[in-house]
Amino acid sequence: MPKVEIKHLTKIFGKRIKPALELVKQRVSKNEILERTGSTVGVYDINMSINEGEIFVIMGLSGSGKSTLIRLLNRLIEPTSGTMMIDGSDIAKLNKKEMIEVRRKTMSMVFQNFGLFPHRTILENTEYGLEVQGVPVKERRERAEKALANAKLLDFKDQYPDQLSGGMQQRVGLARALTNDPEILLMDEAFSALDPLVRREMQDELLDLQASVQKTIIFISHDLNEALRIGDRIAIMKDGQLMQVGTGEEILTQPANEYVRSFVEDVDRSKVLTAENIMIPALTANIEVDGPTVALRKMMAEEVSGLVAVDRHRHLHGYLSSDSAIEARREKVPLKDVLDKMPSVSHDTVIMDLMPLIYDSPTPLAVTKNDKLIGVIIRGRVLEALADSTSDEEETIDV
Amino acid sequence: MFNIPKIPLGPWVKDGVDWLTNNLNGFFSAIQHAGQTIMDGLTTGLTAIPIPIMIIGITLIAVLTANKKFGFPIFAFFGLVLVANQGLWEDLMNTLTLVVMASVISLIIGVPLGILAAKSDRSRAIIQPILDFMQTMPGFVYLIPAVAFFGIGVVPGVFASIIFALPPMVRMTNLGIRQVPTDLVEAADSFGSTPWQKLIKLELPTAKNTILAGANQTIMLALSMVVTASMIGAPGLGRGVLAAVQHADVGSGFVNGLGLVILAIIIDRFTQKLSSSSRQQSSSKSPIKKWLILATAIVMIGSGVVSHLMSNQSTGKQVNLVYVEWDSEVASNNVLAEAMRQHGYKVNMTPLDNAVVWQSVASGQADASISAWLPNTHKALAQKYKNDVTNLGPNLKGVKSGLVVPDYMNVNSIADLSNQANKTITGIEPGAGIMTSTNKAMKDYSNLSDWKLTSSSSGAMAIALERAYKNHQDIVITGWSPHWLFSKYKLKYLEDPKQSMGKTENIETIVRKDLKQDKPDVYKIFNNFHWTSQDMQSVMLDVQNGKSPEQAAKNWISQHKSEVDSWFK
Repeated sequence: MPKVEIKHLTKIFGKRIKPALELVKQRVSKNEILERTGSTVGVYDINMSINEGEIFVIMGLSGSGKSTLIRLLNRLIEPTSGTMMIDGSDIAKLNKKEMIEVRRKTMSMVFQNFGLFPHRTILENTEYGLEVQGVPVKERRERAEKALANAKLLDFKDQYPDQLSGGMQQRVGLARALTNDPEILLMDEAFSALDPLVRREMQDELLDLQASVQKTIIFISHDLNEALRIGDRIAIMKDGQLMQVGTGEEILTQPANEYVRSFVEDVDRSKVLTAENIMIPALTANIEVDGPTVALRKMMAEEVSGLVAVDRHRHLHGYLSSDSAIEARREKVPLKDVLDKMPSVSHDTVIMDLMPLIYDSPTPLAVTKNDKLIGVIIRGRVLEALADSTSDEEETIDV
Repeated sequence: MFNIPKIPLGPWVKDGVDWLTNNLNGFFSAIQHAGQTIMDGLTTGLTAIPIPIMIIGITLIAVLTANKKFGFPIFAFFGLVLVANQGLWEDLMNTLTLVVMASVISLIIGVPLGILAAKSDRSRAIIQPILDFMQTMPGFVYLIPAVAFFGIGVVPGVFASIIFALPPMVRMTNLGIRQVPTDLVEAADSFGSTPWQKLIKLELPTAKNTILAGANQTIMLALSMVVTASMIGAPGLGRGVLAAVQHADVGSGFVNGLGLVILAIIIDRFTQKLSSSSRQQSSSKSPIKKWLILATAIVMIGSGVVSHLMSNQSTGKQVNLVYVEWDSEVASNNVLAEAMRQHGYKVNMTPLDNAVVWQSVASGQADASISAWLPNTHKALAQKYKNDVTNLGPNLKGVKSGLVVPDYMNVNSIADLSNQANKTITGIEPGAGIMTSTNKAMKDYSNLSDWKLTSSSSGAMAIALERAYKNHQDIVITGWSPHWLFSKYKLKYLEDPKQSMGKTENIETIVRKDLKQDKPDVYKIFNNFHWTSQDMQSVMLDVQNGKSPEQAAKNWISQHKSEVDSWFK
C-alpha cells in the first residue's frame, strides 16, 4: 500500500465553485475561468500515489498549483473535494482537533522563506513543534539540540534567525521539521531562496539525510535540475492539473505530451550548443605576479588540481597543474617555466567540434573570445550536454 | 424638506439613556463606587509619596532605561520640579491616575477586541464602523451619558476617556496581528498549533510593537480628554485649564497646560521605550539595572506608605460642594469652603457646568450648591429638579441679571435695540441660566427677532467687553451683578419692560434631599450661610487684582470673624 494516495483532489478558490468546476471539465483555460466566474482553479482532479521512503518531486511553473497542492496535503488549505489517504485513512475527513494531531505527529513542513520566528532563538524555533505538543522542557531541549547537532548548528542555538545566513536558516527549518520525527516531510521550494552554491550543498545534505532517516519526502520545485538530482519520481503540473508522473528518465525520454516535451527542452544539443554554453568560469593564476605558493593556495581554496595561467590582459599562457606548482616551489623557478600546453577553442565552436579535442587533451579546454580567456570546458560537461539532460547553468524556469 | 416629518432621533436617544439609567442603576452605582474607591486609593497613594523622592525616583528610572542618553532624564527632572514649584503636584497626580486608569481599561478591553477583529472578518466589519463613530464623535458628547450613568467625579471622566481612547488600541492590535507574515502563520499551523498557542507564541509577540504603538496613542488620547472630562468634575490639571478658559486667564491656562505637556512627554517617552526595547537592548540590559529599577520603585512606594502613616490626616466630615466657575461663585464657594475647613470639615469643591451642578445635587452626588440664581435665571433647572432638591432659601439677596451695555451707548431699554453691535448679544456658557432667559427675551421682544446670541465663557465675555470698551465699540452682553466688571467699567443694565430677564433675584442654597438626616450639622451650616453683595464684591475684586481665591477668602474671613462664626451656630 502506498504511503500517500490522492484521488480526485480539487481546490477551487472563490465563491462560485460549481460553474468553475463545469468549465474545468470542458477544458477551459484557467484565465478564462477566472474571467467568467471570478473563481480560481487551484488544483483539479489530482491523482497520485507516493511510496514510503521516496523523494517525490512536484514540478511546474509558477501558478501551476504546486504550492496549493502541498498545502492541501496538510490542510493549510481546505480541499474542495477529493480524498487524501495517508496509511489508508482519509485525512480530508478529519475534524480540526484530529488534523492538529496529524500535523504534530505525521507531517512536518519546510518553507521557501524558512518561516522561522524572528522573536525566538534557534533552539526555541527548533523545539517549537514539540512545545505545542506539551513535551516537557528537558526532553524537547534534548531532541532539538540533537537535531541541531545533526545540522551542525548547535553552536548557534542561542542566536536569533536574522543573525544567520540563508543556508543556515534553512537548515534550522529542516531541523525544526525533523525534531518532530514525522513520517512525511513536506518541502515547499525549500531551496529556491538560496544561492546556487548553497543550494547544491543543501541538496546533497538532503540526500545524505534521506539515506539515514528514510522519510517520505514530498518536494516542490520549479527547477528541473533540482528535481533530477534529488527526485526518485517527478510529477509535472500545469494549470492545476497533473501532466505526467514518472522517474526522471521517463520524463526525459518519454514525455507524455507537448507541454512536458517543451518543459524539459528535449533538443539535440550537440548541434546548437556552443562552447560558450557549457563552459564554466576559469580559475586563473596571473603568471606576472603570482608565485607557486599563491597558486597552490588558490588551488586549495577552490578545491581543484590546476589553474589556467594568464597574464594581466587575460591572454592564455598555458595550464598550471598542482604537480608543476610544487615543482616550481621546490626548484625556485618562476611559474612560466613549468606550464603545460593548453588547447583552446573559440567561444562559438559547436560541441560536435569539441569532441576530438577534449578526448585528446589531458587538461581542460580553454575558451577564448577576441584572444581573451573567458572560461574553460571540462570533460564531464560535454558528456552531460550530449546526454539529453539540460545544461548545468541554473535553469530556473520562472514566469 | 421632502415633507417627511422630523424624525425624533434626539428623544429616542434620550429615552434610551433614561431607560438605561433607570434600569441599570444598581450596576452603574456599583461601578461608580468601585471606580471611585480605586482611583481615590491610587491618587492617595501617589500623593503620599514625598515629592522629592518621587521626582528623583522617576529621574533615576529614566536614567536607567535610557542608555547613556541624558536628555530625557534631565527634561523629566526639571519638568517635574517646575510642576511641583507651580503647586500643581496634586493636580498632576490626579491627572496621572485618570490617564493610567483609562489606559489600563482601554488596554484590557481593546486588545481582546483587536484580536477578535483580526481573527474574523465579520466582526471586523462590525467593529470598524463603531470605532470610526467613537473616534469622530466629539468627546463632549460622551460627557452627557457619562454624567447620567456615573454622576460627577473621576469615574465618568474615565468612562468618556475610554470611549475616546479605545479605538487606536483596537485598530493597532488588529493591524499588528493581520500583519504577521503569512509563512510564519503557516509554519505555526503546520506544526499543529492550536489557535490559542498560535496567538500566544507567534501573533502577540510579533505584533507587540504595533500594539504598544497603539497603547501609546491611547494614552495620548486619554490625556487629551483630561481637559474635557474636568467639565464633569474630573480633578487634575484639566480643571485648571478649564477654569483659565472660563476666566480668560492666559497665565494660569499656560501653566496648567504646560503641566499637561510635561506629563504627556514623560509618559510618551516611557511607553516608546517599552515598544522599541528590542532584544539587543534587553540582552545588553544588565540584571543589575533591572534590580535598580525595581529597588527605586520599591523605595518610592515604601516612602509613600511611611509618609501616609506618619501624616495622621484630619479625618473630618466630608462635604461635597459643587459650583460653576463664575467669578461670583468662585468667591462665595471659596469663602464658605475655607470657613468650613477652619472648622474641621474636609471640603471637596468641584467646578462643573451649571446644568450638571443641579443634576449632581438632585442625584445626591453632591451635598449642596450655593449657586442657585432664583427665581428667574435658573428657572428651567429649578423646574426640572424641584422634587429632587431641598431649597434652603437665599444666601445673598439683591442680585440682578440682564442685558448690559457700556454707558457710552445711547440705548436704555431692550426695546430700543435695533442694529447695534452687529445684532449680536455676547453671552457666556451655553448651559447658564442667564442664557435661557436671554433666549426668552429674544422671543419676547420683536425687535430682537433677527438678533444672535453667541455663547462662549464668562471669561471670554469679559475680555470681549474689555476690547469693545477700549475701542469704544458697541457691545451687548449678558451681565449680572455682583460682578467686578461693574467696578472696573462704566456699564448700565438695559431696562426690561417685559421682565423677560427677571426682576431682582437672590442667590439661593440648594442641598440634596437627605442631607438633613445624613449630616444634620452640615445641613445647619448651609442653612445659616448668608452674606451680602458688598461682601462678595470685595472678594471678587481681590481675586481680580491677582490674589488667589483661597487667599482672598482667608482675608475676608479674618476680617468678618463674627459673621462667619454665626454660620456655625
